[in-house]
Amino acid sequence: MIKASFWRYLTVAAVLLLIGLGNLVQIVRIQASPEVAGVIGQGDYIWKTFYPARGEIYDRYGHLLAGNKTVYEVGVDLTAQPKPDFPTITLAAQITLGLDPGETLSLMMNAVPTAQYVVLADYVPADKAQALMDLQELSADDPNGLTLDAVGFKAHLMRSYPEDDLAATVLGFVTRDNHGYLGVEEKYDSVLAGMPVSLLIPADPRRALEYPHIPAGQTLVLTLDRELQSAVEGILDEALDDTGASSGTIVVMDPRNGEILAMASTPRLNLNNYTQINELFPGATPYNRAISQAYEPGSVVKILTMAAALDTNTIRPDTTFFDTGVIVYGGWPIYNWDRGAWGTQDMTGCLAHSLNVCLAWVSTTMGNDPFYMYMQRFGLGHPTGIDLAGEVPGRLKLPGDDDWYAVDLATNAFGQGVAITPLQLMMAASSIANQGQMVYPHVLLAQVQDGRQRFLSPQIVGTPISADTARTLSEMLAIGLEAESSEALVEGYRIAGKTGTAQIPEIGGYDERDINASFIGWGPVDDPQFMVYVWLEKPQTNRAASVVAAPIFRQVVEKTIVLLGIPPDAIRLQIATGQ
Amino acid sequence: MDKVEIMEQVTNIVTKAKQAPWRVQRQWIGLFLLGFVAIAMVAGIYLNVTARTAVSGREIQFLQAGISANLRTNSDLETQLASLTSAEAMQRRALALGFEPVDPEDITYVVVPGYVPDRTVDLSSPQTEETVRPILLPEYSESLFDWFTRKLAADLPAGGQ
Repeated sequence: MIKASFWRYLTVAAVLLLIGLGNLVQIVRIQASPEVAGVIGQGDYIWKTFYPARGEIYDRYGHLLAGNKTVYEVGVDLTAQPKPDFPTITLAAQITLGLDPGETLSLMMNAVPTAQYVVLADYVPADKAQALMDLQELSADDPNGLTLDAVGFKAHLMRSYPEDDLAATVLGFVTRDNHGYLGVEEKYDSVLAGMPVSLLIPADPRRALEYPHIPAGQTLVLTLDRELQSAVEGILDEALDDTGASSGTIVVMDPRNGEILAMASTPRLNLNNYTQINELFPGATPYNRAISQAYEPGSVVKILTMAAALDTNTIRPDTTFFDTGVIVYGGWPIYNWDRGAWGTQDMTGCLAHSLNVCLAWVSTTMGNDPFYMYMQRFGLGHPTGIDLAGEVPGRLKLPGDDDWYAVDLATNAFGQGVAITPLQLMMAASSIANQGQMVYPHVLLAQVQDGRQRFLSPQIVGTPISADTARTLSEMLAIGLEAESSEALVEGYRIAGKTGTAQIPEIGGYDERDINASFIGWGPVDDPQFMVYVWLEKPQTNRAASVVAAPIFRQVVEKTIVLLGIPPDAIRLQIATGQ
Repeated sequence: MDKVEIMEQVTNIVTKAKQAPWRVQRQWIGLFLLGFVAIAMVAGIYLNVTARTAVSGREIQFLQAGISANLRTNSDLETQLASLTSAEAMQRRALALGFEPVDPEDITYVVVPGYVPDRTVDLSSPQTEETVRPILLPEYSESLFDWFTRKLAADLPAGGQ
């Protein structure tokens, strides 16, 4: 006989078995359900693209020039329950985000039938998104069910420039697709942006530690000095107002290592509003004239001609030339800037008075081969290779070129018939300031990645002239400025420099009305720590660079010596000699 | 009744009791329940460990999301600070406070022996990534075999002698 307890045990066992079977069925059902399939995507793994944060850009003293800020993508979950109330969402988006109600409604109503999510707006500023979030919270308990629960927010970063247009021509900008354009942003785009990575990551949260670590883009430290950059831009803007020039460029470089301390050019774009670029830079307007616009700079090139002549021993500083006011070469007469005859001049006098006739004599005495060999050694006709996007090579016509004529040897000597950028001339002139060694101009000081900062070593790109030639020419240029009581001189500091007043070429000849006014100089002569280039395009108040460009050079130098802490020569020598 | 008879009766009773159908069935049920409880225990432990791991995984995911949010906030604050201390803003504030731009002739230079200014910024982190990496004891990730191997290797004399 079977006892009653047997049935009790059997019942308990059956119940437990049923529960177990029920669990099994539930497990299989959940695993096979479309909801789970939707969550886990393609099985145990989900494709996910990781976008690393774009690296920041600092000046040499750690001032942020380009950073990131949080913005939001605002969208609607069309699968939300209860179903999203489109009119309520439309109204809320209009009030808080300023979205057009018709477009918003259309986006939601006309979404494809399979769509689960629709984006209403992206790059929404944090304050506007917060307003919508607040509204969403307020409406959560709406008795009529008119909630904003279906509205979703996805935060992400967007480029931001706290200094607005400061150093805009150096920095460039980043568009919404996270691509850098122009300047540093384009040149170092891949370095700053990091590498977006698409990976299959485990959907199982137990394997969260397997998620990859995607390194952020590298942070860059530039050679720029923010305070100097700001001062130089202010001086440039004021100079354009004072002289009526159509545009201008000022560059400050350390001639010992090629570090660009400031680089200003007009116009400048507010980088937080980069979409205005087409209005501000119509047609072929260069973004950064210091590297992107080659021009005939005029007499500033005479320093290169004289350097070549001294280095080849064609002339010496005391070599004399009798200036009759005209020299004919290649069938063309060449005159001085004032059409005058300056009589007997030594080479220092030729530079001091900027005599075209004398320099044409110097280059033609040298001959084609040595002259053009030196011009090429100085890098004319080739990009400097500066780490900024958009550099142009300029043009140095050479004997044998279709458009080269014999007279070019004479005119090239004083900077006509040759097109170069301000930076090309600075690189070439760095050899004169830097004991014959020509430096590579650059804007990147250091890179920061994984918490480590790596400084870049300065590079010497050539030694086109000897140290003796460099010293001799610097001295000649300093004497020349002092002899002329140049407006470029700064009390207490010995400066070497040269003006350049150049005609502007046009079809069939040269513009008779407008000129380009330039000045290049460096100092202190015995230990150059700065080199400054000034270029004003078409100044209206005066046609002489010594009047319009030299005073601007002085203003820049006065700011530079204060901000770089360069003491007057007498004190510096006192420090050097330990007295 | 002698002793032998009594023993036979006892033996019979015991044999009958052992061979009773209800007793055999109870044994089977007991065995089944024992197996079931054992499986249930293993399943319960597995479920518990899995659930805790999943919860930890979710926490890691939340923490990673928190790190991302903190990095964004950090970027935001850095940019806001930079805007508040921009060159233009600082100049404006300095002028409002009565400061004036200095001219070269207004500066007095003082020689400080041994002073070498090195003013370029250093953005290196004080701690590298390796030093702040979370420490996870090997016991939490190694197998029993790995544990034995490690312990045995640790007990071996240095140099493998």
